[in-house]
Amino acid sequence: MNIIVCVKRIPKTAEADILIEKDGKDIKRDHLVFALNDWDGYAVREAVLLKEKFEGEVTVITIGPEESKEVLTRCLAMGADRAVRIEGPSSSDGHLIARILAQAIKGQSFDLILTGVQAEDDGWGQVGVALAQILGLPHASIVTHIEIERDKAKVRRELEGGIEELLEVKLPAVLTIQTGINEPKYVSLSAILDAEDKETKEVGMEEIGFSSKGPLDATIDQVSFPPTGKMAEILKGSPEEVVGQLTEIIKKKKG
Amino acid sequence: MKIDPKTFVHDYQLNICIQCGTCTGGCPVKFRSPLNMRRLVRETYLTDNFSSLSKRAELWACTTCSTCSLRCPSGVKNVELIMGIRNFLANKGEIPSTIRDALENTLLQGNPWGRFRDRRADWAKDLGVKIFGEETSETLLYVGCAPSYDPRVQSVSTALVRIFQKAGVDFAILGKKESCCGNEIRRMGEQALFKKLAKDNTALFKKSGVKRIITLSPHCFNAFKNEYPDLNIPVQHYTQVLADLIGGGKLHLSKGLGISATYHDPCFLGKQNKVFDEPRKILASLPGCDFIEMERSRERSLCCEGGGGRMWAEGGTEGKRNGEIRIREAVALGAKTLATACPFCLLTFEDSVKTSGLAEQIVIKDIAELVVETMG
Repeated sequence: MNIIVCVKRIPKTAEADILIEKDGKDIKRDHLVFALNDWDGYAVREAVLLKEKFEGEVTVITIGPEESKEVLTRCLAMGADRAVRIEGPSSSDGHLIARILAQAIKGQSFDLILTGVQAEDDGWGQVGVALAQILGLPHASIVTHIEIERDKAKVRRELEGGIEELLEVKLPAVLTIQTGINEPKYVSLSAILDAEDKETKEVGMEEIGFSSKGPLDATIDQVSFPPTGKMAEILKGSPEEVVGQLTEIIKKKKG
Repeated sequence: MKIDPKTFVHDYQLNICIQCGTCTGGCPVKFRSPLNMRRLVRETYLTDNFSSLSKRAELWACTTCSTCSLRCPSGVKNVELIMGIRNFLANKGEIPSTIRDALENTLLQGNPWGRFRDRRADWAKDLGVKIFGEETSETLLYVGCAPSYDPRVQSVSTALVRIFQKAGVDFAILGKKESCCGNEIRRMGEQALFKKLAKDNTALFKKSGVKRIITLSPHCFNAFKNEYPDLNIPVQHYTQVLADLIGGGKLHLSKGLGISATYHDPCFLGKQNKVFDEPRKILASLPGCDFIEMERSRERSLCCEGGGGRMWAEGGTEGKRNGEIRIREAVALGAKTLATACPFCLLTFEDSVKTSGLAEQIVIKDIAELVVETMG
C-alpha cells in the first residue's frame, strides 16, 4: 500500500505574543518557533501504521521555502520513506495549494492520500477535499479511524454532537485525518539526526509542470485582532488574587 | 541507535551485583510502585527478552534520587541503568505521552513545559537585572525552566535577585537566550537531546564571557558540575553563594522572622553533591528563626519525588506521596516552616501541603525567600 501524505510547516502561536506586520497582511513570524502541523503529524503516523500492516511506501510532500525541509526530516524520522519539497508560493489559498499538490501527485502510483483536517495557522480545512476533487478521487474528511479491506477503506468520520459516521470509500482515495486517530510516537533527536542524511527531493513549479497562470482565488487583504467581546472578563493580579476574585464570581453565580 | 542489552551489563557493572538488596531497601518509591531495583539489576543481567522487560511501567517511577547507587557496596550504576533503559525506549519512541511532550517541548521551546521561549525572562522585567548580550558580567545567574515560568518558583528567582542586588553581587542572566540545562532530559532517557543542550549551552556561556555560574536549581547545578563534558567554568548552587555572603558580612539580615523551621535536603544538592552545610548555615544565621533538624536529614533525606522526569510523568505510583510523608514529619517536629532549596521540592511540597490538609499548620518556603524576608 503506497501512501502520500501532504504536510505543512506552521508557526506555533498558542502561547506566543502575536504581532501584526506593518503592511497589515500577515502576523510577524521572526520570533516564532515552527513545527509540523499537529494534524499532519497524526496523518504521517497513521500512514506509517498502515505501512507496517500492509507494506508499501510512504511519501511526504510539502510546499514551501527551504526551511520546510525540517518538517520533512521529522516525517522521515517518523518512518516515511521518501520526501518531496515543492518550492512554491507561500499562500493561504487552499485551492491553489491543492492544484499544485494535484499536479505533483498526478501520474504517481498510490492507494491513499492523507492530509491533516486543517492547518494550525490558517485553518481553512480545504486542501484535502479540494485535492480529491481535482484528482477526481473519492474522499472522507475528519477521519478518526481507518480499516482497509482489499480495495476499500472503511472509515469513521467525526460529526458534531458526538456522532460518528461510518463510510466505505473506494481506493484510491483522499482522507483528511483528525487528531486523536492514533497516539503519536516520540520522535527522538537521534532519529531526526539520522533522517537528516536521507534524501529530500526538491522540485520547482516548472519541473512538476505547474503553470502559475491560473488566478489566485483568495489573497489576504488584512489581518486584525478580533474586537474584544463584552462577555469575557480577564482577571488581573497575582495567582492568589485571581483565585480570590474567581471564587467570588463563582459564589455569586451560584447564588 | 540499536542498543545491545548485553552492553548494559558492562556499562552499568551489573555483573558485580551481590544481590544484597541495599538498593531496594533505600528506594524512596519502593512502597509506591512495583519498582524493585535489586530484581531489575538481576533480571537485566539474565534476560533474553529485554524488549519485554523494558515495557514495565514502573521504570518511570524512579526519581533518579540516586540513593541506591550511592549506597551500593559494589558500585553498581543502578540509576544509570534506569536511564539506559529509558534511552533505549526514547530511541524507539516508546515512552509515556506526557514524557514525550516534555521532550518535544524542550527541543522546540527550550523548556519541558512548552512555554513560549520569548517569555522566559518576563519575570525579571522590572527588576533591573543585567542581560548578557545587552550588558556584560563575569557571573551568570542561570535561572532554569521552573524558576523562569512557574509563578510559585518565580518568587524564588525574584528573591535571589533582590539579595544579590543588596549584597552588591555583579551578575547577569541570559534572558530569552537561556535554554533548559538538560538534567531531567537525560534522566527521561533523551541522551542525544541532552548532548545537544550541553553543547549549545556551553557555547553560549563561553561566547557570553561567563567566568562563574550560579544556579537556582540543584538539578541545573548537577548537570553543569558533573555532566557537561567541556564546560570548565566553576559552578555554585545559590545556597553556597549566600552562605559566603552571610559569612563575609555582606548581607545585613535584621528583621526577625519569629518562626521555627526545618530543612529538607534536595537529593541533587545533598546526597548527590554533598552540599549539606551551607543551607543550614544560612538558616542558622536568620534572625528569629529557630532551626530544628528532621530525623531523616542530609544523606538520609527522603526524596520528594520531583526528580528524574517525575514532574512530567502521570501515575506509575500509588498510595501516599513522599511529599505528604515529609510534611507530616515536619509538622510532628513542631516546625511551622518547611524550608528547601530546590524548585521541584518546593512544587511537590506545595502540592502535598494542600492534599494533606496541613496548609494551616505549615508553610513551604525556599531558603532565598526566607533570606529576603529578613532583609526588611
